[in-house]
Amino acid sequence: MRRAQTFTWGGLVVGLSAAILVAFIGIPVGALIARGFIEGDVLEALRSPVATTALWLSLATSAIAVAVAVALGTPAAYLLARRSFPGRSIVDTLIDLPVVLPPVVGGLALLVALGRNGVIGGPFDAAGVDVAFTTGAVVLAQLFVAVPFYIRAARAGFESVDRRLEAVSATLGAGGWRTFRRVTVPLALPSLIGGAVMCWARALGEFGATIMFAGNVFGRTQTMPLAILEAIETDVDAALAIAIVLIVLAFAGLLVFKGLARLGGRVL
Amino acid sequence: MIRADIRTTVGGFDLAVDLAVDREITVLYGHSGAGKTLTLEAIAGLLTPREGRITLHDRLVFDSAAGVDVPPQRRDLGYLVQSYALFPHLTVAQNIAYGLSHVRRAERRERVERFARMFGVDDLLRRRPARISGGQAQRVALARALVREPRVLLLDEPFAAVDSSNRRTMRRELRQLAQRLDLSVVMVTHDLTEAYNVGDQLAVIDRGRVLQAGPRDEVFHRPASARAAELLGVQNILPGRVVGADGGRVHVATGLGMVEAQAESRPATDHVQLAVRAEQIILERPDRPSTHRENRFQVTIIDEAAFGFSHTLVVRADDAASGAPTLEIDVPAHPYQVLNVPAHRDWRIHIPPEAVHVIGE
Repeated sequence: MRRAQTFTWGGLVVGLSAAILVAFIGIPVGALIARGFIEGDVLEALRSPVATTALWLSLATSAIAVAVAVALGTPAAYLLARRSFPGRSIVDTLIDLPVVLPPVVGGLALLVALGRNGVIGGPFDAAGVDVAFTTGAVVLAQLFVAVPFYIRAARAGFESVDRRLEAVSATLGAGGWRTFRRVTVPLALPSLIGGAVMCWARALGEFGATIMFAGNVFGRTQTMPLAILEAIETDVDAALAIAIVLIVLAFAGLLVFKGLARLGGRVL
Repeated sequence: MIRADIRTTVGGFDLAVDLAVDREITVLYGHSGAGKTLTLEAIAGLLTPREGRITLHDRLVFDSAAGVDVPPQRRDLGYLVQSYALFPHLTVAQNIAYGLSHVRRAERRERVERFARMFGVDDLLRRRPARISGGQAQRVALARALVREPRVLLLDEPFAAVDSSNRRTMRRELRQLAQRLDLSVVMVTHDLTEAYNVGDQLAVIDRGRVLQAGPRDEVFHRPASARAAELLGVQNILPGRVVGADGGRVHVATGLGMVEAQAESRPATDHVQLAVRAEQIILERPDRPSTHRENRFQVTIIDEAAFGFSHTLVVRADDAASGAPTLEIDVPAHPYQVLNVPAHRDWRIHIPPEAVHVIGE
């Protein structure tokens, strides 16, 4: 039975503060979208070279970053969820660090390590391979800031898998790899996909680390967020259009993430 | 024959178990936290003991001295964990087929169907575990474990998630199954009735040690220690002193008075404990006094509890010294009514000497 909604001052305060918050986030986003459509032609602006080039570069680099994050992050997440080893909490904290670190600091760190005079960059440079200020650097910058999002979600997913199921799988003749493939991964899958989506959304919006480590070179390192920065001075319509695309993609990513979280709770 | 002689420490808990199990049903009985599940996990290979040896039907699967530790997937045994742990993302058919990846597809299907039929779950094959009952889940889990045709079956509290009305049938079925499939079964339970009804062999486990092991009736009627007697549900444990022995009888002075016990020989020590089950003490009919001369005591009922089909009386002996122990007596519902027990407080009881078990610790 639903309780009748009666007026209370407390209720008014709670409702009002919630309304203010919703307006605070909703109005700027709404205004941006409205302006893009009313004052300019979003679809037309999206066809400009700045926008299309940035869009494709962003999609390609973020896709690669997510693929690498999944490939390297899945074993790491499993390790953190299932095994105890010396220095585990340090590893755990280190992996979370990029989440709270200003991205520009991350970019600077990458530059120091992978630039021409860096620990890793030096030998590469000697071999004639440039890392910094290339499209590859864009991927690395995105990976650096976004991979924690995947590892955290994957780890939580693995932790939620009942260990008795893995034990039973072993007594039914399955070795570690088969158990991982047929029991652990399927049961953690909603978390794994959710984590990958969040990781991708973060990679797509990456700005600070990228501009520091990869620069802002049209066609090579200028992803969508960087293109906005440049276009805002030359082609406002294009900047707005790119921003709208980012909003739509971020919103869609969140919807998928939340849908999977609910699905995971229901099926299992 | 399963032999497990292992010692290990898990989170501060010491386990030192020595068990020999024959081609029958062996019940590991004890309170929760006694180390029963740890023992099963060690046999299954899910827990590596610090030291010891485990053999399954003459096959060495663990030996700390020789560095042998066969992983669980190659120990060739069925393990039914508590609450069954069916794979929630797989159908019943896929669950049963899980352990048959080494078998060709046609044979796999045939075996899944045969075992599903054997356990009466053949109409559930396409369902997910979330959509079947506790009893059905237990059957599916058994089919899943046994479809691989292991020689050893480990069961951890297999009836805990089953309605009590179905338990009796399932216990009987388990016994038949063990015989038909020629299985050595090791079952863990904390339920005494279950331990008694299912086990051929009984091992009493307490604080990580095997207190006593052997054929069920022997363990049940001849507990080796006061603690074992207590765990085995002996309500009356009387400390006493042996004052004589003759003709297969031992005379023991207790707080209750002189008690005669049937025993083949005088125990090694004079300080003993007498174990007497509450259901073996006889309440005498006032109109028909017993012809026995020994072990008759005048008592007063001081408390009473009813448990559906029987009544438990707590009595105190009238002649006994002060601070004398009280006794518990189980009286079935029918004699309780015929004798009209509630109407009288004073009764005579008789303890048959063969019902008195002498524990000489």
